[in-house]
Amino acid sequence: MIAAADILLRLAAWLLVAPLLPGIINKVKAWVAGRRGPPVLQLYFDLAKLWRKGTVLSTAASPAHVIGPAAAWVALIGAALLLPVGPAGASLSFRGDALLFVYLLAFARFCIALAALDTGSAFEGMGVAREVSYAVLSEAALITALLTLCVQSDSVSLATMLAPSAGTGAALLAAGLFGVLLAENCRVPFDDPNTHLELTMIHEVMVLDHSGPTLAAILHGAALKLLLFAVLLAEAVLPLGKLTLPQAAGALIAAVFAVAVAVGLVESLLARLAFRRVPLLLTTAFLLCLFALLVAWKGGKP
Amino acid sequence: MSGAMNLLIGLAMGFSLVALASSRLPSVIRAAALQGMVLGMLPLLLEEKFHWLVVAVAIGTITVKGFIIPNLLRRALRAANIDREVEPLLGFVPSLLLGAAAIIGAAALGSELPLRPEHAKTLLVPGAFATVVCGFILLMARAKAISQVCGYLILENGIYLFGLLLINSTPLLVEAGILLDLTVAVFVIGIIVDRIQREFDTLDTRKLTSLRE
Amino acid sequence: MTPGWLLLIAGGGLVAGIFSARKSPRVWLATTLAGAIAALAAAAGMLASGAIWDWQPGFVIGGEAVHLQLDGISAFFLILLAVLGGAGTLYSSEYWPDTAHPASAPSGRAWWNGLLLNMGGVLLCANGLHFLIAWEIFTVCAYFLITRERQRPEARAAGWLYLASSHVAMVFLFAFFALLAARTGSWELGPMRDHPELAPLFWLALAGFGLKAGIFPLHIWLPSAHANAPSHVSAILSGMAIKMGIYGLVRFTGWMPAPHSAGWVVAALGAISAVLGVAFALGQHDLKRLLAYHSVENIGIILIGLGFAMIAAAHGNATWGHLALAGALLHVWNHGLFKALLFLGAGSVLHATGTREMSRLGGLWRAMPWTASLFALGATAIAGLPPLNGFVSEWLVYLGLFDAVSAHGPASFAAILAAVALGMTGALALACFVKVCGVVFLGRPRAEIAEHVHECGWRMRWPMLALGTACVTIGLAPILFWPALATAAATWQPAPAPILPPVSLVTLGAFHLALAALVILAAVFLWRRVQHNGVTRAGTWDCGYAAPTPRMQYTAGSFAGIITGWFDWILRPQRHAHLPKEAMRARADFAEHTPETVLERFVEPAGLLAIQVSTAVRRLQHGRVQSYIFYLLLGLAALAILAVTGGSK
Repeated sequence: MIAAADILLRLAAWLLVAPLLPGIINKVKAWVAGRRGPPVLQLYFDLAKLWRKGTVLSTAASPAHVIGPAAAWVALIGAALLLPVGPAGASLSFRGDALLFVYLLAFARFCIALAALDTGSAFEGMGVAREVSYAVLSEAALITALLTLCVQSDSVSLATMLAPSAGTGAALLAAGLFGVLLAENCRVPFDDPNTHLELTMIHEVMVLDHSGPTLAAILHGAALKLLLFAVLLAEAVLPLGKLTLPQAAGALIAAVFAVAVAVGLVESLLARLAFRRVPLLLTTAFLLCLFALLVAWKGGKP
Repeated sequence: MSGAMNLLIGLAMGFSLVALASSRLPSVIRAAALQGMVLGMLPLLLEEKFHWLVVAVAIGTITVKGFIIPNLLRRALRAANIDREVEPLLGFVPSLLLGAAAIIGAAALGSELPLRPEHAKTLLVPGAFATVVCGFILLMARAKAISQVCGYLILENGIYLFGLLLINSTPLLVEAGILLDLTVAVFVIGIIVDRIQREFDTLDTRKLTSLRE
Repeated sequence: MTPGWLLLIAGGGLVAGIFSARKSPRVWLATTLAGAIAALAAAAGMLASGAIWDWQPGFVIGGEAVHLQLDGISAFFLILLAVLGGAGTLYSSEYWPDTAHPASAPSGRAWWNGLLLNMGGVLLCANGLHFLIAWEIFTVCAYFLITRERQRPEARAAGWLYLASSHVAMVFLFAFFALLAARTGSWELGPMRDHPELAPLFWLALAGFGLKAGIFPLHIWLPSAHANAPSHVSAILSGMAIKMGIYGLVRFTGWMPAPHSAGWVVAALGAISAVLGVAFALGQHDLKRLLAYHSVENIGIILIGLGFAMIAAAHGNATWGHLALAGALLHVWNHGLFKALLFLGAGSVLHATGTREMSRLGGLWRAMPWTASLFALGATAIAGLPPLNGFVSEWLVYLGLFDAVSAHGPASFAAILAAVALGMTGALALACFVKVCGVVFLGRPRAEIAEHVHECGWRMRWPMLALGTACVTIGLAPILFWPALATAAATWQPAPAPILPPVSLVTLGAFHLALAALVILAAVFLWRRVQHNGVTRAGTWDCGYAAPTPRMQYTAGSFAGIITGWFDWILRPQRHAHLPKEAMRARADFAEHTPETVLERFVEPAGLLAIQVSTAVRRLQHGRVQSYIFYLLLGLAALAILAVTGGSK
């Protein structure tokens, strides 16, 4: 009973906090550009509105158009339940859950991609092709980052892997994971969430034909994914396991906020890369994680 | 002390990778210059007690590698009106992966070699190997003369790292000699670059194969 | 019933099927299915009880006493054979009926039973000679099944290629068994780990079994054979026949000592096969050829697990080796199940549309909802995604690799590389199956043939449903299958301690169950919400273009273009492009095609060289007695020189 209440409470926290992050990022961007910008809670309003709206469905669409976003959303929630929340730990933790986490994200990608291909739009095909292709490199980087944490903590469970800090290689790991975060969440310099030119987008172009509640599920899922990566990055770098409860909670919140601000700054200061340069940047992220792994490995040798 | 040193050498290895991954000539030059400056600081950390000669050499190295040579190169770039785009013979991603493999290989080699205990803990030897190999990769994989010069610069930085191993026995003589050679080489290349540019309107070394007497 | 009787029923059913194949398809269907069920029961009973069935009746075939044995590993593979054999039997009765193929269907049924019978024979034989005989017969049966459509030149070419490479493998296997028999003094097979002098023979086994399994540079026969065979045959070839190579490797690495480098080589070959297999798959536009390349990928995943198990065995039986082995063995089952499902689904598409060319398909979900959803299920499983079975086995292999890394042992660095390769393989497979499902089943029909199609009948649907159910069951309740895995793994090399199930396997199963339930719940909920808010139908957003046609949909080739670009160096795609030169040029076209690079660039030139050398040598043979005498004299002179120089030592 208590366990169920615990899970529900966490779930509520994840779901409610997630749409805050894009709001913060947009605020930072507006602030750098000297505008007032949309309110921080804008995504909440958008989601509420979309949820009440009707749907325009392509005549070519199959049930996958609706099942895909639903399944992806559930998979992301599952991943959220596996990720420990600082001092409170994870609601579900077992040996090997780190891999399940990675593959749940992959499952979400698979579902969204199929839902996008469903309408037979050439633009969405382009977006999906880019999304799944670049994911190959970011997944390699993510697995390497997990290996680093595994080497440090001698464990394959997220709760124990994320408790200590990443040690000497922390800076490398942080840089690598930040790159993965930007790529997986389709932020600048990999993709520009603001453009509305179909030919040049990745994530935004995949959801062109979604509307109403399905679009709400996708947008909320995307926000949740961003939060997941931000928390993962913060916990991988900070030694939250060694702090007291209030300290750890404060550090985690501050770190997630800092990640959001950093994303906003990157978005304001950098231009989007040409697509042919994207693999290079992702390879760099992978190498950063790999060097973090080597540093951790050398450091851990008795 | 060895922590700070390893950090610097690690940074230097990072700059070799940056040079391999850069698609613009100015950023390749900048990477080589920053690497030279980072390595220029190393003697200060290596010597236990303060010595004015070491400080002078460090300042000299940083000035030459970090400011004079890069400025010469940038001037050549402007004077000869060279297109800023690097022309890779081998793609950026493969070069980057090769460079990373060189670093990992050098680290593995370094842990196998019978080094003196004070060197075994530092990254001096792996860093030297890795930097030399990265310099070679840059030399092999790029078409333009300016990026070749940067390759030489990185190569020289690697040799300089080897030289640091001998800092206790030879007082930076090796380094001074190499640096002198290099400066001359850069001057010569700068002049040649200028001449080639005026003569043929290009700096693509691939086209030099058709030169006859 | 004892396993012996069950196996007798199985064998009897298959033999009876051979005799009834020509005259009465119904009797054939009944007896073959009964045989498959009996074999399934025998193998399952063995795995449940752990009791080895050993039968030495005392009569002799070919000068050697018959010796059949059903132990953990044989039973593990026999279950897969029984399931896939049964599914394929039922499927073929609708897919390849007498009415459509009056010439090839009756004899095809007989060859089919011969194939099943002899693969079972290979699994049971504990005598080297009988093993070889059964192996050869099943190879030949498979040849006749691949060339069912003899009138098509591609099918004949694929058959020849298959036959030739199988016999190259046979040469290696013959050498392997003959040397084994010569060194041990008998053809009897069994544990012989205390003979270190047998270790070098492993390389012969690796070459022979590796060719059958389709390890990367040796996979040349695999794509064309799988693509041109009838789909139920492709399913059994990919699901079971190439697993016979894996069976051989598992069997003999368990029984024999292996050289020190063996584990490393196997793991490296596995990683190469996994990544390059899926890269080649991405370059294919032929549905079945693409699936065939995925077999190379999955064999790679299995070999990564097996390789690390061998490394662990060579380094004092580390526990991570057990995990890797368990993952590899479970992946043998899983790949058999989902790949057979996918091939049967592809067969259903082929049956309905008559083409394997993906660029002519599209939008099939509307007419073929069963095939489309079952294919999507198989695709999710093969991409290694939770909550299905592919993820469970990859997860076990990953756990083994991660443990190997954190053990800081000699295998750590290799395990890092293998884990990264496995991660990339998973993401590439995901990309590939998004492409397949999207292009074939979603969107709109790209050509007229894809417009008027029909769903397959129930006799094709049931086998797919059964295989899909098996995939789901292993995914949702993996712990049920752990005892079978543990028995097989313990048979491989008896572990000092009993192999305990990883506790987290139970949790993983529970998580998968919850995930599956929630996905269904959320889908229903969202669907009702969408309906509640109201749905307006409109055309797909076309960016303002006035007259979009279905041919403007993204194609399989463009979809894979980014990734095939990364693998240009090995795929060597052929591009034919007429790019537009001015602004409004009338025509422009672009086509990209990935050839059989290994076959065309390496094997064929080598073959041509051999032919040239042979033709040159043949000039010596012309029938003039005078020259033959001259050769004799030359030979004598050479011998004399040899004797003189040799004697001086």
